[in-house]
Amino acid sequence: MNPTLLEVRDLNKAFGTVVTARNLNFSLQSGVITSIIGPNGAGKSTLINILTGLIAPDSGEILFHGRDITREPIARRVRWGLCRSFQVANVFGHLSLFENIAIPVLAVTRKATSFLRSTVRDKDVRREVESVLNRIGLLKQSHVRAGALSHGDQRLLEVGIALAAKPSMLFLDEPTAGMNPVERTRILQNIRELSDGGEVTFAIVEHDMDVVFSLSERVIVLHRGQIIGDGTPEQVKASPQVREVYLGEEVAE
Amino acid sequence: MNRYRTYIAAVLVLCVLVGIGLFSSRFVLYLTMRVMILSIFAMGYNILFGRTGLLSFGHAAFYAVGAYGTALCSMHLHTHPLLVILAGAAAAALFAVIIGFFCVRHTEIYFAMLTLAFGMLVFSLMWNWRTVTGGDDGLSGIVRGSISLGFFAIPIMKDSQYYFFVLFCFAVSVLLIHRIYQSPFGLILAGIRENHIRTEFAGLGVKRYRLAAFVVSGTFAGLAGSLGLLLESNVTPFAAHWSHSAEPVLVSLMGGLETFSGPIVGSVLFVVLRELIERFTHNWMLWFGLILLAIIMGFRGGVVGATSVLLKRFSERP
Ligand SMILES: Nc1ncnc2c1ncn2[C@@H]1O[C@H](COP(=O)(O)OP(=O)(O)OP(=O)(O)O)[C@@H](O)[C@H]1O
Ligand SMILES: [Mg+2]
Repeated sequence: MNPTLLEVRDLNKAFGTVVTARNLNFSLQSGVITSIIGPNGAGKSTLINILTGLIAPDSGEILFHGRDITREPIARRVRWGLCRSFQVANVFGHLSLFENIAIPVLAVTRKATSFLRSTVRDKDVRREVESVLNRIGLLKQSHVRAGALSHGDQRLLEVGIALAAKPSMLFLDEPTAGMNPVERTRILQNIRELSDGGEVTFAIVEHDMDVVFSLSERVIVLHRGQIIGDGTPEQVKASPQVREVYLGEEVAE
Repeated sequence: MNRYRTYIAAVLVLCVLVGIGLFSSRFVLYLTMRVMILSIFAMGYNILFGRTGLLSFGHAAFYAVGAYGTALCSMHLHTHPLLVILAGAAAAALFAVIIGFFCVRHTEIYFAMLTLAFGMLVFSLMWNWRTVTGGDDGLSGIVRGSISLGFFAIPIMKDSQYYFFVLFCFAVSVLLIHRIYQSPFGLILAGIRENHIRTEFAGLGVKRYRLAAFVVSGTFAGLAGSLGLLLESNVTPFAAHWSHSAEPVLVSLMGGLETFSGPIVGSVLFVVLRELIERFTHNWMLWFGLILLAIIMGFRGGVVGATSVLLKRFSERP
């Protein structure tokens, strides 16, 4: 069995009367691509927000590499290797693609505080930024402003910024939403490659069932803040409870 | 291509400034020094406003701390210009660390209001602490010593000599700020302006960078204050008044927030317009306000921003 990377204990969160996490207990194993699925409003994005530090849970604990990170600020979690992408493209609109990727690259290479050297003349930074841009297929647009990109390309950049932070655990919130088939294939290929290389452990929120079942080794089903199914894609597909509340006809072959 | 254009522009400006220093009347010298000092103030300020996206209404406090620091140092310690300027800038930096520590916890209107409050605090400190700051009279009669470098000394007593000292400080500031804008640190600040949450998710503690930007810009304000004091040879608490804090805001807006040279162009406009308008009317604020309105509504992105957009459109046309 793979070692545990992230562990969640008794996690609770409610917005008023809307419960988005109810006594959640689970752990994510290193190297296992996990999908988190569930109907709209199930609490998937909120779960990512809590785990990565954007919002605080009402109660519970989060352990990353065995270390309690429940109260750590976002930036420290990212430096320790826990990063995410956003469901709605959340990029640096007025900056070029190069600069968009350079910001996390500078952060991980600990060069962000240097204030007299030129960013673009730093060969190591340039190489790293270009390799990320190449990965997401946007190298040619390196000088274009992020705000001027098409919707699909912004989604690619969104994932690229997250990858550039060199995380060991990466949450992707609907990474392929709004992408055309070419872009989608590129993203999925990247996820597989990085996962097989053992560099990044992915947890992916996804609505597209083809993506979910072809990509993931484990599927967690959330419904109203509770886990109602957890296992291999086959197990989850076969679970009557999951069929009833969520999957319905989508998996009926 | 673009870089050569920048170099050529910089060399041209430098030549003009040296020319003014060599051949101009005292009045033009004085005005040009005012422009350069305001430019340092505004460029430093714009690191915080245009770059990091934080609107401060209290930067006159750092200008004033720089001026008082320099005055006190030259009255009680030594009159070596490099030493007194260092003292002024260091005092401003120290104040910026303390004030910034509280301010960068907030953003937008809360940040602006906090800086305004701290600015008024510094103003009343200078107004009331008579024994040290001279109260409402301020400090006056500060003399400029010679820059002694061991075996020889450069006098800067006369305005025509001091001019070149100001020019030197101006050039160094421009160079430094240009470097900051090209550097990783400068890029992170732009990232914070664009999207501070995403910057946090790149693994960067946004508050620390905001504080660093605050201190750097406060230090340049202090340097401007020091130079301004040595130019006028006196300072009053009004240097810290909130109306003085508005100057770099207006200058940056006029010139262009997200441009490098905007604050310099804005400073030229500000000083020259004020001088011209004051010849014709005592009501200079009214006319200046109207001109400001016209610039802000007519030139999107300030004078520099709008001009460069126009030039680009012009050169792209076949
Ligand atoms: N900041 C907030 N304040 C109040 N309610 C919130 C907040 N964030 C989320 N919610 C509510 O919590 C519930 C879960 O939202 P969440 O975004 O986590 O769902 P999701 O599973 O990601 O759904 P989707 O598939 O539509 O993205 C929703 O009912 C939503 O309205
Ligand atoms: Mg969601």
